[in-house]
Amino acid sequence: MKDIKKEPSVTVVVSVFNFADSVAELYQSTIQSMEKTGKTVELLFVDDASTDTTCQILSNIAEKDKRVRVLRMRSQFGELAALEAGLKHSQGEQIVFISGRVRINPAELPKLLEALDAGKDFVMAWRYPRRDSLLNRWISSFFNRLVSKLCKIKLNDVNSGVFATYRHVLEKVTIYGDLYNFMPVMAAQQGYQLGEVKIEQLPGSFRVSKYPREYMQRFLDIISVFFLTRYSKKPIHFMGLLGTVFFLAGLVIEIYLFIYRILQIGPIAGRPLLILGALLLVIGIQMISIGLLGEMIIFTHAGDIEEYNIEEIING
Amino acid sequence: MLSQEKIAVSVVVPVYNEEENVPILHRELVDVLDTLGKPYEILFVDDGSSDTTRDVLRSLCQAHPYTKAILFRKNYGQSAAMGAGFRYSKGQRVVAMDGDLQNDPRDIPKLLAKMDEGFDVVSGWRKNRKDTLILRKIPSRIANKLICSVTDVQLHDTGCSLKAFRREVVDRIRLYGELHRFIPGLARVEGARISEIVVNHRMRQFGVSKYNISRTFRVVMDLSSLNLFLKYLRNPLRFFGKMGAFFFLAGFAGAVWFAYESLVHHAPYAALNVIVTLVFLIFVMGFQFVFLGLIGSLIVQTGSRKGRTLPPYILSQKE
Repeated sequence: MKDIKKEPSVTVVVSVFNFADSVAELYQSTIQSMEKTGKTVELLFVDDASTDTTCQILSNIAEKDKRVRVLRMRSQFGELAALEAGLKHSQGEQIVFISGRVRINPAELPKLLEALDAGKDFVMAWRYPRRDSLLNRWISSFFNRLVSKLCKIKLNDVNSGVFATYRHVLEKVTIYGDLYNFMPVMAAQQGYQLGEVKIEQLPGSFRVSKYPREYMQRFLDIISVFFLTRYSKKPIHFMGLLGTVFFLAGLVIEIYLFIYRILQIGPIAGRPLLILGALLLVIGIQMISIGLLGEMIIFTHAGDIEEYNIEEIING
Repeated sequence: MLSQEKIAVSVVVPVYNEEENVPILHRELVDVLDTLGKPYEILFVDDGSSDTTRDVLRSLCQAHPYTKAILFRKNYGQSAAMGAGFRYSKGQRVVAMDGDLQNDPRDIPKLLAKMDEGFDVVSGWRKNRKDTLILRKIPSRIANKLICSVTDVQLHDTGCSLKAFRREVVDRIRLYGELHRFIPGLARVEGARISEIVVNHRMRQFGVSKYNISRTFRVVMDLSSLNLFLKYLRNPLRFFGKMGAFFFLAGFAGAVWFAYESLVHHAPYAALNVIVTLVFLIFVMGFQFVFLGLIGSLIVQTGSRKGRTLPPYILSQKE
């Protein structure tokens, strides 16, 4: 359904949390840069239950500027909820989302919309040049490469938290929980054209990283995204392959020990290799069985599955 | 051809980069379907082609109101394309075929006639295949034997894309992943009556064959899960329970061996450590399997199917 009219109106959804010091400036620079695009702009601040005066400042701004609206979450629900709420309470066909955990130069936001107008469906901001610590940058580039490799997409900054897209894309891309960080991956999975635009990062961050727990979580998230995007309709292809590899490894070890024993080369009873082989066999069988269980889940829900995204039906 | 009229036959053709073949196939299809004298539709499903197939389809659809096309956003594979074709087709009978011209549309009336004898699925049998022997025919024959024995269907050529289905069957079969290879087997799960007729098979004229042999492993894996669906969908515990019982027995045998070595031969415990560990491992497996089976039952019970099959009274009904 490509023919959805691209209305000129844009909604900028900004997720904020305890931004009392900077929110006025953020508003100023964002609205100024968006005015330059010549589009009808709507600015929606989603206050994720700030505990400081952010909300009052925003209400004051909204009173003076009718283009600004403020949505206050009852308690802290996170950025995905902010995005969903923003989507529900906005009108723009093009949506720009700005995460509260990164600081980018709002003056460069129009570049995202330009890429969108040039035919892309989902444009990610690439924080460049980055102003994080070296360690942060290094880990970030590692994760980005891992995601790009596993999920077969080409992005330098999957996790920037700033993107522009169309309303219908967001409505089609199903996301839940922390996988929100992988929205571009999910969008690409649905066949949407990804784009990437360099946007200057400002020094400083509102986010307090919790190493190394956060890295562990991100790593696990990547595994689940990889599994969900590539194998959710055929879990046995993934688990069966892993299971077969383990099983065969175990089998080779046991056959080796068997021959060893038959040829009377020596006793095998005390050898740890025997246990290792048995363990590999067990793990292999387990993996295949769990894969089969996965297949059953998919099969029994097959009626609800629609794994394709139709662009257009002619004469339908 | 009024759209209000009930469509008797839908022809579903998944296509991927077949710009030369599509117009020829469409011409042939129209010629054959016009002779049926019943309302029909031709439904092309474009699986994210990168050549001009989409434009060709657009112009065909514009010229022929009963030709329809579904365009995917990207390449999702043949199962998804066939599945979309099934879902969006409206005919009381659905004929599926390849878009590469190797299937002959003139076989369609024969398929439908065979269906009138009381079958729900009629499959084509490419008795004289026009393909290379080593690369395509032999692997295909082996695969066919394997698929038939697992899915409990007696067909000479399950891989033939030219097949006709009754609406009730099409509505029940959900194609996803790579299940398009096992459509007769999936129809079996639903309790369909399946038959076959010999069909014509032609040389490929245009385009390249999208075949590679590396899928063997995935086919085997799919077959193993299909086996589970076919035989144990109503009670998965029976499958996992069997495996569990096997491991329990093995563990028990190991325990007996341990007792024998220890009590009769007075072997020191240190020498028997390995046996003990293995026995424990095997028992753990046994328990795991039983509980996996219970989870399986839970899945089936909460799923939307609950082991349903086609109601037999619809099957015996004549159009």
